Amino acid sequence: MVTDLKELNIIIAGTGGQGVVVLSELLGNAAVTAGFKVRGSEVLGMAQRGGSVFSNIRLGTDIESPMTAEGKCDILIAVEPSEALRNIQFLSKNTTVVLNIRKVIPYTVSLGQSTYPEIDQIVAKLKSVANKVIALDAVEYAEKAGNRQSTNVVMIGALFGSGKIPISPETMKEHIATKFAGKGADVNIKAFDLGYDIIKKQM
Amino acid sequence: MVVSEKLTLTSDAPGKSMFMLGNEAIARGAIEAGVQVYAAYPGTPSSEISENLVNLSKQMGFYAEWSVNEQVAFELAFGASMANVRAMTSMKHVGLNVAHDPLMSATYMGARGGFVMVNADDPGQWSSQNEQDNRVIAEQAYIPILEPSSAQEAKDMVVDGFNWSEEFGQIFMLRSVTRLSHGRGDVTLGPIKKEKRKGDFAPANRERFICMPAWSRKNRYVMIERLNKIKAAVDGMVYNKLKLVKGAKVGVIASGISYGYALESLRWLGMEDKVSFLKVGTPYPLPEKLVKELCSSVSKVIVVEELEPFVENHVALICQRADIRVKVYGKEFIPLVGELSTRKVVEGIAKFLDVKSPIDFGAIDKTLAETNPMVPMRPPTLCPGCPHRGSFYAINIAARKTKKDLGERVLNGDIGCYSLGAYAPLFSYDASCCMGGGFGVANGLAKGQSNPVIGHLGDSTFFHSGIPALINAVFNNIKVTLVVLDNSATSMTGFQPNPAAPTNGQPGLKAEEIAKACGVKHIEVVDCFDIKATAEAMERAVRFNGPSVVVARGLCAILDTRNKRQAGKKVIPYSIDQDTCTKCKICVNQLACPAILIENETVVIDAAQCVACGLCAAICPSKSILQGGK
Repeated sequence: MVTDLKELNIIIAGTGGQGVVVLSELLGNAAVTAGFKVRGSEVLGMAQRGGSVFSNIRLGTDIESPMTAEGKCDILIAVEPSEALRNIQFLSKNTTVVLNIRKVIPYTVSLGQSTYPEIDQIVAKLKSVANKVIALDAVEYAEKAGNRQSTNVVMIGALFGSGKIPISPETMKEHIATKFAGKGADVNIKAFDLGYDIIKKQM
Repeated sequence: MVVSEKLTLTSDAPGKSMFMLGNEAIARGAIEAGVQVYAAYPGTPSSEISENLVNLSKQMGFYAEWSVNEQVAFELAFGASMANVRAMTSMKHVGLNVAHDPLMSATYMGARGGFVMVNADDPGQWSSQNEQDNRVIAEQAYIPILEPSSAQEAKDMVVDGFNWSEEFGQIFMLRSVTRLSHGRGDVTLGPIKKEKRKGDFAPANRERFICMPAWSRKNRYVMIERLNKIKAAVDGMVYNKLKLVKGAKVGVIASGISYGYALESLRWLGMEDKVSFLKVGTPYPLPEKLVKELCSSVSKVIVVEELEPFVENHVALICQRADIRVKVYGKEFIPLVGELSTRKVVEGIAKFLDVKSPIDFGAIDKTLAETNPMVPMRPPTLCPGCPHRGSFYAINIAARKTKKDLGERVLNGDIGCYSLGAYAPLFSYDASCCMGGGFGVANGLAKGQSNPVIGHLGDSTFFHSGIPALINAVFNNIKVTLVVLDNSATSMTGFQPNPAAPTNGQPGLKAEEIAKACGVKHIEVVDCFDIKATAEAMERAVRFNGPSVVVARGLCAILDTRNKRQAGKKVIPYSIDQDTCTKCKICVNQLACPAILIENETVVIDAAQCVACGLCAAICPSKSILQGGK
């Protein structure tokens, strides 16, 4: 189902160990299956040691570079709430932000080197730039699906539930099933569906 | 549900598309080209090329290894090329400094079997000590450069690079950058070359392959002639594309990854059909005809490229020599420092063309400035259970004791995970320079001033380039303490095995045995999770009158956890007895372990992150940290 889509920019933000890179691989593979030209980029290496992780996936006929330009993000998926703020320069009033509200507190907060904002403050700040901000407790839905580790897949379900992705949810689910063989596939498909439904209702 | 066909890097499926990491595309290119020998030392952002090729080598019937350093990797690949098989090496930009010596002579001899040298630069220093532009080194070595703009081109250029390397008899450099190596894109697969060549080496090749003055003086002419032939061919290569717009007075030239930024910028500015555009895939040698054609049709050009004004300078020179009256711009508008972005290029081109920016970047900067203070800092840090945390903590204890009579210690570190200890509160670095410099620079710090010097580096770095500096300290009897932080892995780049790890049927080399063989008189080996013993050993080493070595041993926490999980061993995390905890926060403030958190003024251990190294329990003054809890 290739459309004449010119440019769609998706940014996924989180912290080391949250499966951000897995998400971008899944999404990119599904986009290739759907026949899109796809570009993306992420930070590997240093960022894996508990640091911030950022990935972006871009689809469409007009995209050339692996990086979304500032102010051009269409959808921001934040698997960790403060990481949404860290990428605020990519947002515009046209951006939809999907936010997991579960915090991962960095050690700099324990050391008193920085402070962690309240979720309400984060949402308010994001809303001052982007028109649509959807917050959900993705960990809760992942646990409901059967595994906390599937939090990232709840978020990808939420992304598709937003209706902003020109790829069929079935194509995405096929890739999820291929990636997580056996019992993991069922849990992750369920996680996807839960994320999908909760956001679809809110859109 | 239909499970989609799973394509892999070894799928024999020409025409099918796959979503790949740039480094995977490079590895796929080597497989398609029928590489027979591959060797590399890991280094961000190049490591995934080798990860894939080492893992797939058996299946695909070629030889691939993790070498001890980049020089050896280059030499090994070059030797295989001498024997007329296709060979490849890859390295990060600073790795080429290590391989620079063989490169500068190998280029006189040229390639026999196709030889592609992949070089991954790191603009923006995402994971490096500098951001050198290795196109400069390639030029110095008369080595042609292929610079891809996408994962697809990266794969295709590796295949063509092997063919051209054999056609022209020269080594080809594929120049990647972080955004290419760690970028992703759809890649259409090509056919896999299956036939393997039987290598040979005839002594009759002596005149070509012995780099001694009598022969290499002549070979210098041969090398220059090879480049001239390549120069004549690059204008016709598919990776260089000129789009002339009728009546356009302005030209844009972009090389490699910058092509995407430049093209998107022109589209965003609504200028795509108003300027002429040269896409460069061979920054060295440049496609001179295309450059001249563009430059004689416009009154000014701007070169968009990351780091040095490499293409810019060459374009200016070509035009000057051809008497083409065009103004060549570049770094006046495009930043010299750091990684480019579409924003930086849009702003540069807008200024160059004197047109309005498509959006108000000033407003974005204002939002960012308002938001930044709200965002908690999340720098990468030593993992929970990292053995280096114990080593550094112990070094600090020893340094406090020796400070009174010997003066403040100087800690000279190296490149690896342990560099994350440089931050508060461990401050395990006062200086660091390069791979192996942990020992080498320590030699000089010990000669240049009188306070005690501890040089430290990891096991992989020790084998990479630390040993000569250790021998030097013995040879010249330099009073310096050299610490090997031995976690039995090259962890920073993805846990590649190194000579310290039992692998390839050998038991694992021991740094202490090498130190002994090198003639070091004071050697101690400690378990770095035993803080008391480690601190005492560090103090004895610092007080020893001559070169001393401490091997601080403890398996990388990630590998340790992985091993335990595979063996079915349960990790019982530690917890804090809140009844006895005095909230002194020594564990929090002195270890900075990500698993130790403060929640509502109470110190707690996150069971999900704790890997039960026991370091916090060992230093807790009130003995309130217990495994498994009460």
